[in-house]
Amino acid sequence: MVSAPVSATRVPIWRNVRVLQWIFQLLVLLFAVLVLAWLWGNYQTNSERLNIPTDLGYLDNPAAFEITGNSMSQNAPVRTALYEGFLNTLRISVAGIIAATLLGTIVGIARLSQNWLVSKIATVYVEAVRNVPLAIFVVAGLSAIVFGVLPNIQEAWDLGFLVASNRGIAVPWFEGGTGGGLLLLGLAAAAVAWGVARWRRSVSERTGEPPRSGLFAGGAFVVAMIVGWFALGYSATLPNVDGRRTAGGIRVDPSFFALFFALVVYTASHIAEIVRGSIQSVPKGQGEAASALALSGFQRMINVILPQAFRVAIPPLGNQYLNLIKNSSLGAAIGYYDLTLVTQTTVGNGSPAIPAFALTMVIYIGISLFTSVFVNIANRRLALVER
Amino acid sequence: MRTLLLRAVLLFFIGVFAISCTSDGDGESAVTDDTDDSADDATDDGSDDATDDSSDDSSDDDSTDDSGDTTADDSAEPTDDGGDDGDDEGDDDVTEVQSGDSKLAAVQSAGVVRCGTRDALPAFAVLTEDGDHVGFDADFCRVIAAAVLGDAEAVEFVDLETADRFTALQSDEVDVLVRNTTWTAGRDGGEGATFLQPNFYDGQGMMVASDSEFGAIEDLDDGAIICVAQGTTTEGNAASEAARLGLDWEIRGFEDVPLLQEAFVAGQCDGWSSDSSQLAGIRSDFPDGPDALTIFEGVFSKEPLAPAVADGDTEWAQVVNWAVSAPIIAEELGIDSSNVDSFADTDDVNIQRFLGLEIEGDEETAVLDPGLGLPTDFGAQVVSQVGNYAEIFDEHLGSIGLERGVNALWNEGGIMYAPPYR
Repeated sequence: MVSAPVSATRVPIWRNVRVLQWIFQLLVLLFAVLVLAWLWGNYQTNSERLNIPTDLGYLDNPAAFEITGNSMSQNAPVRTALYEGFLNTLRISVAGIIAATLLGTIVGIARLSQNWLVSKIATVYVEAVRNVPLAIFVVAGLSAIVFGVLPNIQEAWDLGFLVASNRGIAVPWFEGGTGGGLLLLGLAAAAVAWGVARWRRSVSERTGEPPRSGLFAGGAFVVAMIVGWFALGYSATLPNVDGRRTAGGIRVDPSFFALFFALVVYTASHIAEIVRGSIQSVPKGQGEAASALALSGFQRMINVILPQAFRVAIPPLGNQYLNLIKNSSLGAAIGYYDLTLVTQTTVGNGSPAIPAFALTMVIYIGISLFTSVFVNIANRRLALVER
Repeated sequence: MRTLLLRAVLLFFIGVFAISCTSDGDGESAVTDDTDDSADDATDDGSDDATDDSSDDSSDDDSTDDSGDTTADDSAEPTDDGGDDGDDEGDDDVTEVQSGDSKLAAVQSAGVVRCGTRDALPAFAVLTEDGDHVGFDADFCRVIAAAVLGDAEAVEFVDLETADRFTALQSDEVDVLVRNTTWTAGRDGGEGATFLQPNFYDGQGMMVASDSEFGAIEDLDDGAIICVAQGTTTEGNAASEAARLGLDWEIRGFEDVPLLQEAFVAGQCDGWSSDSSQLAGIRSDFPDGPDALTIFEGVFSKEPLAPAVADGDTEWAQVVNWAVSAPIIAEELGIDSSNVDSFADTDDVNIQRFLGLEIEGDEETAVLDPGLGLPTDFGAQVVSQVGNYAEIFDEHLGSIGLERGVNALWNEGGIMYAPPYR
């Protein structure tokens, strides 16, 4: 069979689809660039007309406000206030991520429990909380919990190691330790823990019993820290009520507490669903095989099911972490001085709005990208390698 | 078929481009224009964008029209723009239409003054259930409308949060900001605002619960929590006062008054610091009754509350300034809303000038028109439709127990002093 001759004429440019597609894309790009240039020119001209600065010089102006729970003076420059706000965002984000993951995992596993009551409670919790906007939880955290439940400072609940009132929750805190000393102590205790883990592993190889090196190492770390702490002469203080303050210990800001409560409850409900879905994605045969090997329920979860489930859960978990970081900006509604509220306050006090918010956006992008890097690393390491 | 579609889409985009680039753009590439033109064009742009949406200008509909397209077209037509937009504004019935590139012209053609205010501060600006804004600041919005447009109800109240108020002014969402805002140098400069005749001289005070153990401000000793509203001069002043008195207060900021009030009622705050007038207003409206709160005597800062307009339009600033001064001048001259009509035959030249009555000269009669752009009878309109300063003050602030104090007229022991209208 003779094949048809290949056409030797070239397609003219104005009909060549590939050329046209390129031209089209370049034109769209040009259009986008021109729109951006127009917006920028508009912004510059109008700012000049109103004498509003468009650079980052406002960072050196005095802040003219104080951050609750912080010793920053009101004459500190705006960049210090922004830095403190950034640290506050990090604090609530780290605390929130850890607590939400723990609570979410527990609730997610509970939802799959054989115990009817436990699974129903978990279901109700997840379904109810997931469908309520977070902003409501945040404001309810302040209005209902901090103002409604927690008492006045005069009638504070004094549990000895904890003092709770609507001015904050005071917990015991160490005293006397400097940053450097603490770090050295921590390193020493970590070395001890590592040594103990190695010892347990060698025992396990010799005798065959489960090493439980994590448990032993963790216990050794805590014991070493405590022993070293008191050996070095540091001490801890318990909080108690003193007039309108609490003396001793450290006081958790009520706004932090309200925001923490709201973020953890909300994000945990989402994480519970992710964990549940990831556990259910593990083939049923795995669980049955684990039972056949006489592994206890806990061992089955920790050693067989969760490691496989975790692989599936990491991308959506990373998503929830990023959501939590960004949702922490809702603290602005209840007076928690995170980065967003600090920016809003400085703009209200005279900083130019566009540079201030642009800088804040860049910082949030940085935080999110940083978190994504870690999530992606975990993802890559745990991913199944296809042959 | 596919190439045909591709070509059609291409042509469409090229067409959009062409139209946007060659439109009667009001060039604000300040680079090539000389300073006068750039100022005109820039202010033109602001008013144009604001009012074109409301008035039906089909020729300027293209959203990329008023653009800073840095093409040569724009710099070639600076003078065209003025006339062009004058036609676009189009309302020739108002006798005081200025050349078409001013905020005054924009407001007159829009027929409404957009006044930035708030919705939940008792005595100053409260949004009632009927949808009316009632209060001292709200009445001053009406004063401006009565002066500029002859109709005190030609006001569009724009409720603004504290954090947004200057951004709204800068981006021309409001024509004037009457929102008990303190006149400070930082706001004059960095916020691009021009402050006008203060309508209330205030100071920052401290309020506590009556049944607390605090008798004076010094009793708020270390550890006291002072609640303030965020993003105002209050925060900095409270911190400065704490430093001055050598006390260690914890300053806690809240986004808005209702949340602050909740915190105060729950006992989280020992003291509430704000402008004394605000404290009086809040106290009058307190759910447990005004006697549950005590405002300490004495103020620890200067807070001149004044209306503000955006920088760059001196004509509009002067118009608003004289509008706001009108109630003060009226009180000086003894004119109030009940007797304004009785002055039609007066011989007092000052009253004749203020009310826009005819003044007998040697050979002819004339009505004073200082050339501000306001109607000649703006004083009469303001007083008859809203009232003089004493009436406005008594209705809103006197009723909650505030004394005239430093806000009395200059010849009655206070410092309310308006320039002479002549």
